[in-house]
Amino acid sequence: MPAVQQMLTRTGRSVFATAALVAVVAALASLYTSSGGASRESLIAEMLTNFIFVLGMQVFIGNTGVLSFGHMAFAQIAAYATAVVAIPLAAKVKALPDIPFGLDTVHFGAFGATAFAIAITLVVGAVFGIAVCRASGLAPTMITLAALFVVEQVVKNWSELTRGAGGLSGIPRLQGNGWLWVGAGIALVVAHLFQETRIGRFAIATREDELAAPALGIRLFTARYAAWIVSIGLIALGSSLRAQSLGSVNPKQFTLDQGILLLVMLVVGGMRSISGAVLGTVLITAGTELFRQLGDPQRLDIERFPDLFLGGTMLLVMLLRPGGLLGDRDLAGWLRRRMYRRPTAEPVTASPGTAVLKASEIEVHFGGFIALDGAGLAVRPGEVVGLIGPNGAGKTTLFNVITGLVREQGGRVLLGDDELTHSNPVQVARAGLARTFQNLRVFKNLSTRENVALAALVSARHRPHRTRVDVDTLLDDVGLGEWADRQAGTLDYGNQRRLELARAAALAPDFLLLDEPTSGMSDQESLAMVNSVRTVAARIGAGVLVIDHDLGFITRISDHIVVLNEGRVLAEGTPAEVRANPQVAEAYLGSSA
Amino acid sequence: MTKLLQTIVDGLGVGSTYALLALGISLIFGVMHLVNFAHGELITVGAYVSYFFFLHGGSWWWMPVAIIGSAMLASVATELVAFRWVRNASPFTLLLTSFALERLSHALWQILVSPKQRAFPKPSWVFYQFKLGGISFEWMDIVTILVTAATLLLTALVFKRTMFGISVRGAAEDFDAARLMGVRANRVISGAFAFAGLLAGVAACLILMRSPSADPSMGSDWLMKAVIAAVVGGLGSFSGAVIGGLVLGLLETLTRAYLPEVATGWDKFSTAVTFVVIAAFFVARPDGIFKVSHAERV
Repeated sequence: MPAVQQMLTRTGRSVFATAALVAVVAALASLYTSSGGASRESLIAEMLTNFIFVLGMQVFIGNTGVLSFGHMAFAQIAAYATAVVAIPLAAKVKALPDIPFGLDTVHFGAFGATAFAIAITLVVGAVFGIAVCRASGLAPTMITLAALFVVEQVVKNWSELTRGAGGLSGIPRLQGNGWLWVGAGIALVVAHLFQETRIGRFAIATREDELAAPALGIRLFTARYAAWIVSIGLIALGSSLRAQSLGSVNPKQFTLDQGILLLVMLVVGGMRSISGAVLGTVLITAGTELFRQLGDPQRLDIERFPDLFLGGTMLLVMLLRPGGLLGDRDLAGWLRRRMYRRPTAEPVTASPGTAVLKASEIEVHFGGFIALDGAGLAVRPGEVVGLIGPNGAGKTTLFNVITGLVREQGGRVLLGDDELTHSNPVQVARAGLARTFQNLRVFKNLSTRENVALAALVSARHRPHRTRVDVDTLLDDVGLGEWADRQAGTLDYGNQRRLELARAAALAPDFLLLDEPTSGMSDQESLAMVNSVRTVAARIGAGVLVIDHDLGFITRISDHIVVLNEGRVLAEGTPAEVRANPQVAEAYLGSSA
Repeated sequence: MTKLLQTIVDGLGVGSTYALLALGISLIFGVMHLVNFAHGELITVGAYVSYFFFLHGGSWWWMPVAIIGSAMLASVATELVAFRWVRNASPFTLLLTSFALERLSHALWQILVSPKQRAFPKPSWVFYQFKLGGISFEWMDIVTILVTAATLLLTALVFKRTMFGISVRGAAEDFDAARLMGVRANRVISGAFAFAGLLAGVAACLILMRSPSADPSMGSDWLMKAVIAAVVGGLGSFSGAVIGGLVLGLLETLTRAYLPEVATGWDKFSTAVTFVVIAAFFVARPDGIFKVSHAERV
């Protein structure tokens, strides 16, 4: 039952962190409401709904790093869905005489209406989410923005269903803030749990690096889509509860400005951290209220001081602490690290794989430029093959073809009996090829151990037939044991390279593909890297294909060397044979040599 | 046919204003990967400057100079006080910084002037009409199209022929390389902001001649459209921004004019349909019409 046990500690952590945060907020709230009466209660209600919204946004925006302006669109759908089924029939027929879909005879209680709203919102959200999560760069942000405007326009104009700009009132009201507290608690638990699940960790990986995550076998779409669905669900819950707490809905509650207000709460506290989201919500809700009281309620402009506060706060935070006040500090994350116990079992060593990696007759042209012209190579199980050649020889292109980043126009890539020709990076990684990147691509905001653990999550799922070596053993093997809890982005250059090696190894691959693992390293560091690579490869039973400029490194590490020149294999053999080959010397040093 | 031509002229009129704004957004994105949500506030600045001058006996003869000048100054100022300090931050941080400025601008105008709209006189000739081949045009249509064409021509000249323009394009291509070639980062970025301010100032003149009033949040509506136009065109691409702006303007006026004919009862959803089309476009072509490749080394 280790899986259940693990689940319990995860759940336990989430529940504990939630309880602690709720307790702090509740203490503040009761201090605040102990004098002052009803208006203070309604501010607490506002804060609690903000909590649910901000946590909902955190699940998607915070974990995936994809900015969305569209969450208010789904809040609006949920609020109106609640209204049209919760308003008592007599009042509904009066307000909406031409209501479509036979809704004039439908009436649900509070639970039914909430469930209905969440269901409807999830259905619409699931469709929109496909578009949002497939796109990359700025496109998803723009799609969510368009979604916001579409929903806004439809609600304003479909008056048979929504009564247009005037909104709907007469929703049976929930008494007190009790259910809002429950909702906020649910949102906190869900947000915490999501970060503990495999798919939640994957979503975080996609946020950290859009190229490295697929190279570890993580599908961007799946991870983002899961986050999106959970996020929209929470937004719907919050919005339905708010509608029933206020008793009315109208389009003004769901404008872009409202969405931005919530976004400010998220980023001021620190969007990557759930504790940060909570802190931001408390600070901004309280601050906005404080500045609202500076204004004169008799005049139209009571929003001017809150706007000043919001703009000023956000500007200061962006200029001084762009990661938010808490950055990556998070109560649950802290617990996770504190509670971490290194497995006590003896470190295992995996038996070598049996498959051969073979690329043959690869052809790639970029426009008129022929990058690869029939190059090929083979790596046998447990063997270390070095790939060298002058600049522009096609080394990295061949590498990218094998790992699915560049599509070849001709030739085949085989791993054992698996056809990898024209595969994408995710398929390649899951099939058993793990790569590192020439330009460092560690997950900078995660700890060293979390970086490696992410890859281990993938191998647990997709490479069950391989013996898996535990994360700490791999870290020790590359000499990063003492840095396990350091934030990866703060490691020095050489250590980040070693971390990439350990992360690739945690994928339990048949082959490690290392793209210039010693670039930028001193001779001494290069020497150490030879040992690290050999130790790790032996530990996980993988063969190695390595590109490097450093001839000393390559000859020391390789069993077999392939020399590329102008897209073709110029020579290959043992290091000694290659060194003795006059053609190689010529390609490297020019014809005069 | 007459209706179609008139709709197209209207669409080009709105679209060219979008194009000018989108060009500024695309330019700034090119040099520092910032989607500048404060860009629309330059219109607001121009509007309040006009309002202020008209209170003290302004005239439309020289007002465009004041509007464009103030927009340029304001644009450079935002770079100095805010964007310079987050220059190498993530696009997310940059974008939120610009949001913060937008918010602050709203608040400041509300506090300094009034949250209510302030009107001032418009040039007398704006709505004069004349007929050409059975279609009636307003003078403003012609002015809009001519001014936009002239501004775009000037932009093309600046970026093709002058040292400044070439530096900016170089910086947009590869900032570090441009720096190594002796391009001064601060000067190029300030210059780009000044030029974006100029474009926004011209757009502001066209907008204010039609509807001469100032209110604190007037920039935001234009901004959203301009951002969408710039992204549709392909951020960083100059011709993309212009085409994106024109396409958006045409799409808006055409759906408003023809959607009711295609499906009765749908006229009230014309804006919604425009945005659905835009969303669908982003799904199909996430990088816009003119993809600007930022080839990433791996």
